[in-house]
Amino acid sequence: MMQQTPPIPEIIQAIPLQSYLILSTALFVIGIIGVLTRRNAIVIFMSIELMLNAANLLLIAFSSYKSDASGQVFVFFIMAVAAAEVAVGLAIIVMIYRNTRTIDVGFLNKLKW
Amino acid sequence: MLSDFGIILLFILAAIVLIMVVLGASRLLRPNRPNEEKLTTYESGEEPLGNANVQFNVRFYVVALVFVLFEVELIFLFPWAVVFGNVDLIEQTDGRWGWFALAEMLVFVGMLTLGLAYAWRKGYLDWVRPTPQVPHTPSPVPPALYEQLNEKYAPKVKVP
Amino acid sequence: MYPIVLLSVLGIVVLFLGFMKSKSVLLPATLLFLVLALASNFIDWNQGKVLYFYEMLAVNNLTLAFNAIVLVSAFMIVAMTRGFQDQEEAQPAEYYGIMLFSLVGAFMIIGYEHLIMLFVGIEILSVSMYILTGSDKSNLRSNEAALKYFLMGAFATGIMLFGIALLYGATGSFNLTDIQSYVSIQGRGVSYILYAGLLLLLIGMLFKVSAAPFHFWTPDVYDGAPTIFTTFMSTIVKTAGFAAIFRLLSHSFTPIYSFWWITLAAITVLTLLVGNIIAVYQNSFKRMLAYSSISHAGYLLIAVTSLSPQTENAILFYSLAYSIATISAFGVLMLVSKKKALEGQVDESYAAFNGLAAQNPLLAFVLAVSMLSLAGIPLTAGFWGKFFVFGSAVERGLVWMLVVAVLMSAVGIYYYFRAIIAAYLKEGDIGKIRIAPFYRIILVVATAMTILFGLAPGIFEKLL
Repeated sequence: MMQQTPPIPEIIQAIPLQSYLILSTALFVIGIIGVLTRRNAIVIFMSIELMLNAANLLLIAFSSYKSDASGQVFVFFIMAVAAAEVAVGLAIIVMIYRNTRTIDVGFLNKLKW
Repeated sequence: MLSDFGIILLFILAAIVLIMVVLGASRLLRPNRPNEEKLTTYESGEEPLGNANVQFNVRFYVVALVFVLFEVELIFLFPWAVVFGNVDLIEQTDGRWGWFALAEMLVFVGMLTLGLAYAWRKGYLDWVRPTPQVPHTPSPVPPALYEQLNEKYAPKVKVP
Repeated sequence: MYPIVLLSVLGIVVLFLGFMKSKSVLLPATLLFLVLALASNFIDWNQGKVLYFYEMLAVNNLTLAFNAIVLVSAFMIVAMTRGFQDQEEAQPAEYYGIMLFSLVGAFMIIGYEHLIMLFVGIEILSVSMYILTGSDKSNLRSNEAALKYFLMGAFATGIMLFGIALLYGATGSFNLTDIQSYVSIQGRGVSYILYAGLLLLLIGMLFKVSAAPFHFWTPDVYDGAPTIFTTFMSTIVKTAGFAAIFRLLSHSFTPIYSFWWITLAAITVLTLLVGNIIAVYQNSFKRMLAYSSISHAGYLLIAVTSLSPQTENAILFYSLAYSIATISAFGVLMLVSKKKALEGQVDESYAAFNGLAAQNPLLAFVLAVSMLSLAGIPLTAGFWGKFFVFGSAVERGLVWMLVVAVLMSAVGIYYYFRAIIAAYLKEGDIGKIRIAPFYRIILVVATAMTILFGLAPGIFEKLL
């Protein structure tokens, strides 16, 4: 299934793999903090997308350093599935907005233990 | 010697510095006399109406969702396109590879088409037009009489 | 493999059947499709391990048995929907289509051999569940549950993906067998990236099966979703999720057992404590079942943590016993709460069952058997499920965990028996509840299976 992949271009090697790791970890952590601290459903959603893209970046970086295409294929799948998730998520948010006229998650308190 | 990324960094820095210099210079040189007309938002010459933070009609939203879905699913065409035209694979398999790949992609696109057909049949693609409300006044005079009056007294305008 | 292909196509067929004038064809068609899928499932039976889809999916008797449990649960749940005839704004075709699609996701995560399959399967399952949770569009509780489930689920997906990316970075492959050979060659010397990746991946998956520190969405979502879809979530998602976790750990990461078992053990104990103790304080029966599902996730985690040769049978039997009992409990709840809703107020608390036995002996009996099974009382399937799970823990020597588990099942008896007491001993004014014949058959069969497996658990092992 794998074909002969060309060697890693010099321009990619100019940045060490650690830098990608640190960058994507930073993006991931920013995403997590966003999810945990923001109150607007759309902003939380954007933070989640940031987390997904951190994973994408990491996969691409590993994939090009290992000269293995499967990481990039995985990214295609993540993008496609994330789009489906976006569609469903936005539909849910719009549904809630129609019913309550707000998307602040603090407003959602019908269910409590 | 600078590496390739060093040059990019220089470009970024130069861009920032240049913009700051230009904006700063104009700020120092220009006279500052704001009035209401000048401070309004520029909307290609139109008079701005209301808040920019208005709701768009819901019908944009459904179409946008359907668009996002179909657009993003098509990223699978890119890796497919890379192997579809692969000369080695085609030669190794006597050209059967091309047909196989084409069939696979037809199945995929067929699935998407089914989804589109479903959305269409459900009416999600219909552009919901507001039905025009014809004002109706309960009047004893039939409309035909008005027509006659118009015919008789309306000034004949020659359309050039 | 066959049920995956079959249900993907038949799901679309169900969607398009919805355009027909008569809606009554949908329910029989869906049931027929499920039976077809169940039959096709066994084509690969006793073939050993077979790989499909360019080695991305593995099929063996274990995965087929999990598939069968999922399909049987789905059949019962779909049969209990009665075609959504009593809901005016329901979209039966879409619900059935989405249910069939979500089963495809469940099969994918039961038998994945490649992490792409795991990811895509989990997403198919979760996205379907988000939609079904929010399917009661005008009900604020359903809306809220859908949003919470969606945000938490997507969050978990993000964590899981980052874990997968790190695993890929450490091992250079998404294939479970390749990862396994990498781990066993490197032994304890694997890079810290792999550890981090495994932890994040596990956290993401534990989110989906609602294990304890990651359980906070569960009660709200189970409570707010329409009851029929709560049943679907609490049985099928849980069974498939545990199959996936078990597959990941047993297939790829046994060589570094000493690394992950302590983390998992802590999560297990926490899950048991949280699930059982908070369940005691619930007044809503539906919410209690949500916490009960958390506590059952804890029992299943015991089996996964101990990872002995018995484990796969224990998980299989436990999921079966749990699914059947949960389905019949929710089935009774649906009938009773519908009756209450017709009388004017929605009531899903324990008090709704007051005096159930007087006029509806069958429903009270079904409820009692399912509660006994969930509590793990002997002569029910739930007892043997717990027995096998504890047995595998003993084999691994995790006695302290066993002590916690036994104590917590004792706590469990309290809240499960509250429902039985309400049904048999309390005074109440529930009139006769009319049960559709098919519904009655499903309830009776589920109860019979619970008792049958309780009397003779050996039957199940013979089937394997």
